[in-house]
Amino acid sequence: MDLFPLFLTVKVSFFATALAASIGLFLAWAMAKREFFGKNILDVLIMQPLVIPPTVLGYYLLTLFGRSSPLGAFLEDTLGVQIVFTWKGAVIASMISSMPLFVKPARASLESVGKELEDAARLLGKTEFQVFKTITLPLAWRGIAAGVVMAFARATGEFGATLMIAGNIPGVTQTLPIAIFDAVQSGDNLSANLLVGVITLFSFLVLYAANRFTRGRL
Amino acid sequence: MNLELSLKKALNGFSIDVKLKLDSEMLVLFGPSGAGKTLILKMISGMIRPDEGWVSIGSRKVFDSAGGIDVPIRERKVGFLFQDYALFPHMTVYENIAYGISGLKKDAIGKKVGELLNVTRLTNLEARYPHELSGGQKQRCALARTLAIEPALLLLDEPFSALDYQVREKLRADLINIHSIYPITTILVTHDLEEAFMLGRKIAVVNNGAIEQAGAREDVFYRPRTRDVARFMGVRNIFNGKVVSADGPEVIITSPDIGEIKAMRSKEALRPGQEVSFCIRPEEILVIRPDRLVDAKVQDNILEGEITSVTGKGSTQILFLKVGQGDTLLKIELPNFVLRKLGLANGRRIRVSLKRENVWVIP
Repeated sequence: MDLFPLFLTVKVSFFATALAASIGLFLAWAMAKREFFGKNILDVLIMQPLVIPPTVLGYYLLTLFGRSSPLGAFLEDTLGVQIVFTWKGAVIASMISSMPLFVKPARASLESVGKELEDAARLLGKTEFQVFKTITLPLAWRGIAAGVVMAFARATGEFGATLMIAGNIPGVTQTLPIAIFDAVQSGDNLSANLLVGVITLFSFLVLYAANRFTRGRL
Repeated sequence: MNLELSLKKALNGFSIDVKLKLDSEMLVLFGPSGAGKTLILKMISGMIRPDEGWVSIGSRKVFDSAGGIDVPIRERKVGFLFQDYALFPHMTVYENIAYGISGLKKDAIGKKVGELLNVTRLTNLEARYPHELSGGQKQRCALARTLAIEPALLLLDEPFSALDYQVREKLRADLINIHSIYPITTILVTHDLEEAFMLGRKIAVVNNGAIEQAGAREDVFYRPRTRDVARFMGVRNIFNGKVVSADGPEVIITSPDIGEIKAMRSKEALRPGQEVSFCIRPEEILVIRPDRLVDAKVQDNILEGEITSVTGKGSTQILFLKVGQGDTLLKIELPNFVLRKLGLANGRRIRVSLKRENVWVIP
């Protein structure tokens, strides 16, 4: 059996989760601790992938990164980076889809660290970054860890948006969920069953580990 | 002056406007809940931004709305003790205390923390986490953490309110002791009268977002300037009256409640016909023993009435005496033994004297 889809899915999910967690941590912090103009709009935008159809999200990404858009043209002509129909496209699709699943619990746990504790640290002479590093983050890490796990789980199952932007190129952009779709379409039930088994077991283990890890705080 | 400020702030229908000057001593900010006491501390420390005004600590301006100065919290060197202590739950007692110390080598930090642990009686608890401490230990740990940065100013926000009575007594004594070791300009907020009297040589009474009276403890306690201050200071007997004469060494006031009363002259000039309030503390009222002649000193304001209730309050008893024509009740506080000796009980008629030097006139 061809294990490429499994390896690709792990690779894409890893990068997508890493990006979603680093960008998402900043967004979650800003929304938990700061007041700024357009905060509600930003919140709605981040949460969008939970409710809009993945194909719509994929269409947006295709339009944004396609060669006919200024951004796509700039990336390809100036930096020589192609997004559409590559595994990088799959990373972006997975990252955007899993962002809300990271930001929600991360923001809630950052908010749960009271202003009084952070003020206590400021009064003891600490900068904003020191306050975050030594007080907020250590007290909020459970929620952040939960967010990372959820984002990773979501990234491994990403299908619609990935298909739109990265396509279904066997050996190049065919991730596990897409390979299952492909196998079923072509009547290859053995491969389909195997792949379904793999991804079911994987998802189960991830959520089980996350629950153990965060003691049911998801 | 070590602390000088003039601050204004409007906050959801509540406004605050205070001016304060303070030397290296302990000032008690006293007032009812919701009067704005905590808000004043938070504005001094920088946690809440005033609308206008200025604050200087030592000789340094840390806030000035006109000059565009707003020194960040971390540079103000203000020690702040939160009502519920705000200890870092993921750090041990040692780590909490050492957290704010900067620019020292490891062994110097250890020495400094050790000294603070000693002063706050926490020496054997340094490896514990906050959830393993009692209320009093948490409070002392928070105080040690605050003192570790050698603050230029110490702000204590109702530091004893979350503790039981016995612990509170001990910690008040601790605080007085610690303040004598580290004589830092301190403001302590409380709504507990006993605490205010015990800890503050100077008291500022906060009411409705303003300082209604500030001064030496005895002045505020025995010579309140307004009815509200009198009320907050535990004076229950406050009456309305009209000045009859104010020329002699004493003021004569006539009151619809209890008749004619002689009082000491107040600092403010009074004129005949002026409406005033006057008050006497419950513990300053003397009960006249029926079997003795009335001494000249207590001859002034003698009232007769019937005891309507007697309530024990630990070492003292509270009596209510119905006097005058109306339903005026006089609150009297007496030591238990006096009550026993005189056999005072509900329904008995007694005579009391309001010595004129204890009657205070509020213009």
